[in-house]
Amino acid sequence: MVSKTEETQLNRLENQVDNGGGGAWEYLCLARKLKVRRPEKVLKYGLSILNDSKKRSALGPEEWTLYEQVAIAAMDCQCLDVAKDCIKVLRKKFPESKRVGRLEGMLLEAKGLWGEAEKAYSSLSEDNPLDQVIHKRRVAMAKAQGNISAAIEWLNKYLEIFMADHDAWRELAEIYVSLQMYKQAAFCYEELILSQPTVPLYHLAYADVLYTLGGLENLQTAKKYYASTIDLTGGKNTRALLGICLCTSAIGQVSKGRNKEDKESPELQSLAAKALEKDYKERADDKHGLLTCVLRSLKI
Amino acid sequence: MVAELKYEISQNAYIKLVLHALKHKTTAVNGILLGRVKPQNESVVEIIDSVPLFHSNLALLPPREIALIMIEEHYGSEGLGIAGYFHANERFDDAELGIVAKNIGDHICRYFPQAAVFLLDNKRLEALPKGKDQSLVIQLYIRDASKNWKLAGPDGGSRLVIKEPAANVVLSDYISSEKWQDVVDFDDHLDDIKMDWLNPELFK
Repeated sequence: MVSKTEETQLNRLENQVDNGGGGAWEYLCLARKLKVRRPEKVLKYGLSILNDSKKRSALGPEEWTLYEQVAIAAMDCQCLDVAKDCIKVLRKKFPESKRVGRLEGMLLEAKGLWGEAEKAYSSLSEDNPLDQVIHKRRVAMAKAQGNISAAIEWLNKYLEIFMADHDAWRELAEIYVSLQMYKQAAFCYEELILSQPTVPLYHLAYADVLYTLGGLENLQTAKKYYASTIDLTGGKNTRALLGICLCTSAIGQVSKGRNKEDKESPELQSLAAKALEKDYKERADDKHGLLTCVLRSLKI
Repeated sequence: MVAELKYEISQNAYIKLVLHALKHKTTAVNGILLGRVKPQNESVVEIIDSVPLFHSNLALLPPREIALIMIEEHYGSEGLGIAGYFHANERFDDAELGIVAKNIGDHICRYFPQAAVFLLDNKRLEALPKGKDQSLVIQLYIRDASKNWKLAGPDGGSRLVIKEPAANVVLSDYISSEKWQDVVDFDDHLDDIKMDWLNPELFK
């Protein structure tokens, strides 16, 4: 998960390198640190360093990390020959390494040789039953073969052991959402919010899922979590502001004819609407009319 | 009557959707088709424009509801309505029209019964640069009498036509020049409202 500042920094570096201003190594390190998926750039910049013996030896021991990073990017771009070469170099340097073994497994995956990849991972995990990467490769393989129920099963098994892996919870939540299993997705976001209560993304996603589930109670809870997202993002999150408006409208519809005393105070939605109007006027004036139309439809 | 319907898509609408899918190769993406029944010929639905919607969490309602209101309002003033839905699956091997796509298609049919659903044909897209197969890289799905979405027959190719015959050539050019980087979708807009989902400069 990457913040806006981190993404801007990465993009700036990318532009710099693309325009011949150097900084390839900084880019590669940042990409590795942020765990972003930009295989074309990583492959291009990585190879430019690896294919230059001076630049390569200047890296010292980091050379091997770069080979690994480039191997993975190459597999992602289906440049399997490049990947094979990188892995060969690593194998030569680290003949007994399980880490290289994992890369070899991934190469089998990239070739679509699922059975052989599974064999490779099984033998690696015999000695390392707690290797997280291998567990996750199993999930990835199931997903790649379209076996979503197996992916869910493996991912749940993984989370029973490694319940602090936030990325895994997010992955599971997103798989559930794609299958319209919103209750299960909600559970995942609840786990995430419990363990990392100050990450606004989880509050927002949870609110979106609850709204999608519908029903008065879920809508009221969704509204609370859109509100907490606004709180955690200094009022700048467009999705959360719109979420407040959507919830207010939906709650109004669902509770038509009910006791007026249950009606919530209108301040939150008018504040949200005002914030949205101000933002659109300032930064997206050509769409301001459309926003007004949205607010009108939602009777805000 | 619906069985006789033909769909005519404009080059820009077509290319925009395919480029959007190429920008987000690792996830499913979707989009809205804008159009109307052709004024001169009621058995043809013309798809005049498209709006790329999302590249994450396609099955969540809040962003979709906002997008539909804004899109309808904008295009309504141009005499166009929501006429269909586009979907591209996450995996290359997945050639099925999934449940999310069908549900959104059903929703659109409530307002425009002749609505079509287009599914990106990954195999044809892959073959495009090789120049062998010049058919459109999208598949047409139509609802049958029992409201099930069906691939428009083996002659589906003739029910979906593109106005501009050189569209695939233009598309191939754009792919080589990585034009897909410039496509803005609704997700991008919600993340930063300065990003314009109308993509006014895309084909200039």
